Amino acid sequence: MKLLTDIRLLTWRRTLQLLRNPVWLIVSLMAPLLYLALFTPLLKDIPVAPGLGGNVLDEFLPGILALMAFTSGSTAGFSILFELQAGIVERFRVTPASRLALLLGPLVSGTLSMLAFDLVLIGVGVAFGFHVHVLGLLVLAVLLSLFYLMFAAFSTAVALATKEISGFAAVVNGINLPLMLLAGILLPISLGPAWMGLLAHFNPLYYLVQASRTLALDHFSGGTLWQAFAVLTPLCALSLAGATRVYRRAVA
Amino acid sequence: MSAVIEAVELRKRFGARGKLVEAVRGVSFEVEQGEIFGFLGPNGAGKTTTLRMLTTLLTIDSGSARVAGIDVAAAPARVRERIGYVSQLGGADNEATGRENLVLQGRLYGGERAAVRQRVAELLPLLDLEGFAERQVKTYSGGQKRRLDVALGIVHEPQVLFLDEPTTGLDPQNRANLWQHVRTLRERGVTVFLTTHYLEEADALCERVMIIDGGEIVAEGSPRELKRDIVGDSVVLRVAEEDSARAAAVLGSAAFVRSTASAEDGELRCYVDDGPAALPELLRRLDGERIALRSISLSEPTLDDVFLAKTGHSLRDAEAS
Repeated sequence: MKLLTDIRLLTWRRTLQLLRNPVWLIVSLMAPLLYLALFTPLLKDIPVAPGLGGNVLDEFLPGILALMAFTSGSTAGFSILFELQAGIVERFRVTPASRLALLLGPLVSGTLSMLAFDLVLIGVGVAFGFHVHVLGLLVLAVLLSLFYLMFAAFSTAVALATKEISGFAAVVNGINLPLMLLAGILLPISLGPAWMGLLAHFNPLYYLVQASRTLALDHFSGGTLWQAFAVLTPLCALSLAGATRVYRRAVA
Repeated sequence: MSAVIEAVELRKRFGARGKLVEAVRGVSFEVEQGEIFGFLGPNGAGKTTTLRMLTTLLTIDSGSARVAGIDVAAAPARVRERIGYVSQLGGADNEATGRENLVLQGRLYGGERAAVRQRVAELLPLLDLEGFAERQVKTYSGGQKRRLDVALGIVHEPQVLFLDEPTTGLDPQNRANLWQHVRTLRERGVTVFLTTHYLEEADALCERVMIIDGGEIVAEGSPRELKRDIVGDSVVLRVAEEDSARAAAVLGSAAFVRSTASAEDGELRCYVDDGPAALPELLRRLDGERIALRSISLSEPTLDDVFLAKTGHSLRDAEAS
């Protein structure tokens, strides 16, 4: 089918680009590794989530994986901005390739590289005592991909609509910080007052973080998992549909 | 001959902060199969906007356009299959090699892998790209990159190729080289529609030229017809600055002078039907008024003369402003 072929071709194009710039690989891994190295030690003596027990990494690493999906999703628009300015987006838009494929190619590639980074981080985590629960992590991979696709599609749409870096950065940075603080990535939101917990329920990232913690422990019961799917699946579909629409109209 | 592009009363407006700017104001024209058609005008005249409407990149506000027999507004996807478009930016992927760019482009147009590879192998020598097809595009020179851009526009053997300012930024040698490649394409039956703000380019390359200024078409025809019909020969003379108004009046009233145009620093252009015949009479009149000449020359008309005669300003001035 033409759509699938187009997606495959465009995914491979972006992946090849990434593989040819190994510097980028190091830069992308730097932040999560620094969090692991310089933040987890601070948590050693803080009762993060009493009752779950276990070691600090079991608590914290899943949050880092969610953080990676978040940051790589929000920065996905940068490469589109660059390709917009280089005329690449326009060249593709004149071909008969499906607009959904034009959008999804880079996003699928981004999902794959994110999952590869997740594996590296989990590997590093294992060396420091992280306990791997395979089934839970596989379901988590699906959730992380859903979240990445949703947020990267949003970021791409913002890039196509603003067309230049200052407008794009203003929107993305303006959204990023509150979403991150209200997600309980670094410390559980339950440590805060009730109104923070209430606000967090309007934040898709919160559901991902909650689910990532239970999944990493291989807990499938309880509401967090289904809540996360129930929130992220429709949001992801909506975001992809919206971004495809913007792609159809975008004028460089 | 049949029309490959038919535009009827095309209009496009852009709104910017509540202010509506009409970029294209009722443009109509036809382009025949197999010709090189030039769209000439200063930056901001509406060339690129028109081109983007024809290539499905912009919606058409009013009017209609058919490209390769298909209505652009009704079936943009079918138009895309039949046209090639090379934007001012080109849009080749710098990280990929020339061949990778071409193969991907061919595949996005729906070509089978083997057929696309075969086609790319034909294209590389056609546009002198063989020597560096396996190098990343970021290592290409300006001329090489431009030839790759053109190759990207024709991988799928389109009926019509749209080139937006194809030689902007190229040195004269590379410009002449690209013109040669465009002529080769035409010989192979591709209709070429190009925009340019270079008079020489329109003159040297295009069989038919349309001049646009301020979103409206001011003239259309072959460069030769335009020059002959509109301006005749031109005599460029220079007098002292204080005499220039008087000289313009004296010569403007002469029956054999079709029109005059003055530039700064005492330069005056007179358009006459037959330059060599008019010259003695022209000199006699100036002498009668005791206007001293600093220089005089007779020149064959250029497209800039056409532009000047039609719009009241020079294309070069419009560029500078």
